Amino acid sequence: MTSYRLAKGGLVDRGAPLAFSFDGKPMQGFEGDTLASALLANGQMLVGRSFKYHRPRGILTAGASEPNALVTIGRRGRTEPNTRATVQELYEGLEARSQNRWPSLDFDVGALNGLLSPFLGAGFYYKTFMWPAPLWEKLYEPFIRRAAGLGKATHEADPDSYEKSWAHCDLLVVGAGPAGLAAALTAGRAGARVILVDEGSMPGGSLLFDTAMIDGKTASDFADGAGAELQSMPNVRLMTRTTVFGWYDGNVFGAVERVQKHVRDPASHLPVERLWRIVAKQALLATGAEERPLVFGGNDRPGVMTASAMRAYLNRYGVAPGKATAIFTSNDSGYLLARDLEAAGVEVTAVVDSRPTAALSYRGRARLIANAVVSRTKGSKSVSAIEVLRDGRSETIAVDALAIAGGFSPIIHLACLRGSKPFWSEEKAAFLAPQDLKGLRIAGAAAATAGIAACMQEGSAQTMAILCELGFSCRPATLPNVEAEEESRPAKPLWSIPGIKGKAFVDFQNDVHLKDIGLAVREGYGHVELAKRYTTSGMATDQGKLSNVNAIGLLAEARGVSPAEVGTTTFRPFYTPVSFGALTGAHSGFHFQPVRKSPLHDWAAKNGAIFVETGLWYRSAWFPRGGEKTWRESVDREVVNVRQNVGLCDVSTLGKIEIFGADAAEFLNRIYCNAFLKLPVGKARYGLMLREDGFIYDDGTTSRLGEEHFFMTTTTAYAAGVMNHLEFCAQALWPELDVRLASATDQWAQMAIAGPKARLVLEKIVDDDISSAAFPFLAAKEVSLCGGKLHARLFRISFSGELAYELAVPAGYAESVADILMDAGAEYGLQPYGTEALGVLRIEKGHVTHSEINGTVIPDDLGFGKLVSATKADFIGKAMLEREGLKASDRLRLVGVRPLDPTASFKTGSHILEKNAAPTLENDQGYITSSAFSPHVGCTIGLALVKRGPERLGEEVVVWNGLKSEYTPAILCDPTFVDPTNERLHV
Amino acid sequence: MSDFRIALRPALGSATGPASRGVSLTAMPEGHVVQVLGRRPHAPDLSGVLEKAAGPAHRAVHAAGPGQWFIVGDAPLSRDEFAALSAALQPHATAVDQSHGRIRIRVEGTMVERMLAKGTAVDLDPGAFPVGTSAMTLLGHVSVHLTRIEIAVFEIMVLRGFAESLWEDLVRMSAEFA
Repeated sequence: MTSYRLAKGGLVDRGAPLAFSFDGKPMQGFEGDTLASALLANGQMLVGRSFKYHRPRGILTAGASEPNALVTIGRRGRTEPNTRATVQELYEGLEARSQNRWPSLDFDVGALNGLLSPFLGAGFYYKTFMWPAPLWEKLYEPFIRRAAGLGKATHEADPDSYEKSWAHCDLLVVGAGPAGLAAALTAGRAGARVILVDEGSMPGGSLLFDTAMIDGKTASDFADGAGAELQSMPNVRLMTRTTVFGWYDGNVFGAVERVQKHVRDPASHLPVERLWRIVAKQALLATGAEERPLVFGGNDRPGVMTASAMRAYLNRYGVAPGKATAIFTSNDSGYLLARDLEAAGVEVTAVVDSRPTAALSYRGRARLIANAVVSRTKGSKSVSAIEVLRDGRSETIAVDALAIAGGFSPIIHLACLRGSKPFWSEEKAAFLAPQDLKGLRIAGAAAATAGIAACMQEGSAQTMAILCELGFSCRPATLPNVEAEEESRPAKPLWSIPGIKGKAFVDFQNDVHLKDIGLAVREGYGHVELAKRYTTSGMATDQGKLSNVNAIGLLAEARGVSPAEVGTTTFRPFYTPVSFGALTGAHSGFHFQPVRKSPLHDWAAKNGAIFVETGLWYRSAWFPRGGEKTWRESVDREVVNVRQNVGLCDVSTLGKIEIFGADAAEFLNRIYCNAFLKLPVGKARYGLMLREDGFIYDDGTTSRLGEEHFFMTTTTAYAAGVMNHLEFCAQALWPELDVRLASATDQWAQMAIAGPKARLVLEKIVDDDISSAAFPFLAAKEVSLCGGKLHARLFRISFSGELAYELAVPAGYAESVADILMDAGAEYGLQPYGTEALGVLRIEKGHVTHSEINGTVIPDDLGFGKLVSATKADFIGKAMLEREGLKASDRLRLVGVRPLDPTASFKTGSHILEKNAAPTLENDQGYITSSAFSPHVGCTIGLALVKRGPERLGEEVVVWNGLKSEYTPAILCDPTFVDPTNERLHV
Repeated sequence: MSDFRIALRPALGSATGPASRGVSLTAMPEGHVVQVLGRRPHAPDLSGVLEKAAGPAHRAVHAAGPGQWFIVGDAPLSRDEFAALSAALQPHATAVDQSHGRIRIRVEGTMVERMLAKGTAVDLDPGAFPVGTSAMTLLGHVSVHLTRIEIAVFEIMVLRGFAESLWEDLVRMSAEFA
């Protein structure tokens, strides 16, 4: 016989049927069912195959700890493997498929593993697949992974959205069972900001299947009323379908809300899951307890279920476990179930109690077998009989379901995530979390308190203490009156059971059985952390929620010590599995990172720019024109046009920092290795910024716009870093200096206008005199444009080596000004150019960027040795520049490279070898840092860092590309390929 | 006089967003944003100076860290007005024109706190973050300056380059309330 739905009872809505399917077989459940309760109601007791031995498995629990009933639900991009049927709410059209079986759940070829099981004990793989070593990665591991397993993830993209959110409260209550509800009501009524979180679809926890009466109502009605009251309070947030999975520094709790995991067609305006970070002044853990299985032969057979799970299916879902149920218990929990089953008209065949006498008085019809154990179950794909061992005599009893009750383990996972270790309480027969945790208290069954009234009382009392700490004035809460309650008191745990036949599972999900634990101890892996790794007990998706304490008890027995001495393994987040989608939130795909746009972005786009991502920026890389087939054609044209006519380039992404204060000049003098103290107002200067260790950090031009006002530019990449560096220097290193900093990167759009005709173009829109006499190289000042319509900043600086200016205008006017410049420049051949042409122009001129300033170079390496001030008292990097290694004669230094054969080329990153030298590490002379085709030179050119580079100009070398085995004969030359005497800059 | 006409192009000129009771988004006029840098980070109370400098009632002063403020308003400042404001702050503080560098977005509605909580770790409960309070905070991946200007109205100030990206994020964050 199988499980079935009762005619009445439970919280399911029999008026709302839901059609679903399991392995393609159509079934029907009701609104309010979980997938597990609906499967049981349809008599589907076999729901999966085990990880290693492919044993038939059923439904063991009614909650988050389920190790067996893992199924795949959904299809295509919404495929979700390893879904616990016990927590998945049923919805119309749900499609569930069993896992780890082939060709079918009923006939699974992998079950042959069961026959091999004598060879597949703990450590088998480690011992067997050691040799030959190379086969491990190529053969053994892939094979084992294919044979063993859980569900398979889909390769299709997830069509749904996810998001994250923060929440803040005075008190976070985790768990809305008796203790949690009492706590939330107490705190809510006192006016505290409360967040009550429960992983179920409605508040109540164990109240949803308890038969006690509370204030004259059923326990579930009481929970419903309490939930309604809490929801009516503006200071309380009740979050259902939400699992708190972690506790972090700052009393921040991580939680995942399943917003739309219980619906068939998720609405697009809502995420399917939401990750919460809850900042709580105080938290109360009211997470309840987990009923432990008992370890005996065939305890994993479908039809075997924990007693409290069976109670939940019976009372909450109206599902009976079978026609003839036996109960095997080591404590009073089994009797509560027996009473409820009989009240529902379900036959209880026998209650097998390992104790000589039960503490609860049982007056039911079932046969009571005290001082006895179940040594094994029988049956193929579900339980058909049990063997009961009493006084050395064995008796077989035919049953179709078996409840097991091995005592309760408080759910203390969250409390142990920040370093605290649980301790073993002999009195409570359980591992408990310490009660002196800062910011977190524990109440109810999570603190091994038994009974609804006692849990409520404790939840309320702990909350009162928290409220007092938080400064709330509050009166003791009026607690509801609980009637008809029978408590299940803790009893001595029953770790090993005599007379076991067959496999007795400790960890169901990993197929770890009793003998594996013994083997681990015998082979020297008796320490709890080693035993876990040796046997895999406590691993995988359930993280040993049911098995860990049993494993510890058995280890303790095998070692002849107390569980206190064995201790637990380390608790880590997550409490239950969290999807990558939820952890990623909304930031996936295109939204992986924000886009930062230049104020000239749209101008560039309408001029046909191809954009390139540079950090978060989108920069215009080149501007193709009709007839150009390759990017190189466009770039070559742009470069030539700058050298012959004039070009316009968006350089707005450079970092810009306004520096004010009476000591601004002194500040810059300490920041840069070259002199800035006496920079005149109206002048720009190239500045080289070192790190404390003497290596170059960043470079750029800084202009003095006023006596106490400087304007610094940085490289695009290091804009934020330089700003942080300056703030640190101003605030921490030299707080005595009067200096103030403001990031102005986004305030100013900046355009380079470069080329021999640059002045002709600018003169058409700049009102001021910008003749070379009035506005020479390195001049910098505010100018007015277009007859005073706008004020801008003009700098005569050049990255290209041509006569060049940079014009900065307030960002909102950027596009308009660029349009005007294009108009004004049309007669002079003005064309936009992008970062590719910018790169070619600067390489031709021998100017460096972060390709050269790569963290390994000091000023002298780049030919800036003379720039470093010898007279300044101090600047950042000064002391460390004196190190021996930085003064060595064979340092890699900047040099130019070009191929001997102008038709040949080489790539950036290639290494330099002496002519005829073998390509070895010892022979390495340096490497190419930048390279490009130079229209000016007519061949590929490069900048390189080469040992004693400047001393070797004219030397023939070989450029070696080790990745492609290319050897290009080349010559070392001056890095300035264009206008080495700088005549063009000064025209 | 030059014939060229210089026009302002708003950063969020073409942006559309939700306008419901739950959440509504508005790109604020690109008027003025003046960053005020106090001479010393822990200077004595400058509120009197700031009030005087800020002048007319349609301007607001938002705190922006120790010794720093933003003076904001919907109307652009002329050169003379900026110079006057700058002079009024001297010698206590320096004014930096950020009118083009910062974009202001107004978000309001009954669900505005819930919407913003998707991006910021700041506790926006009116008890913890009353009207007039400002904070520099990340909103998702983007750094913003957030001010509560009315009980259910916030002003978000963001770097111009990130404005479009932030706007898209805000629209997404508002979807369930729109």
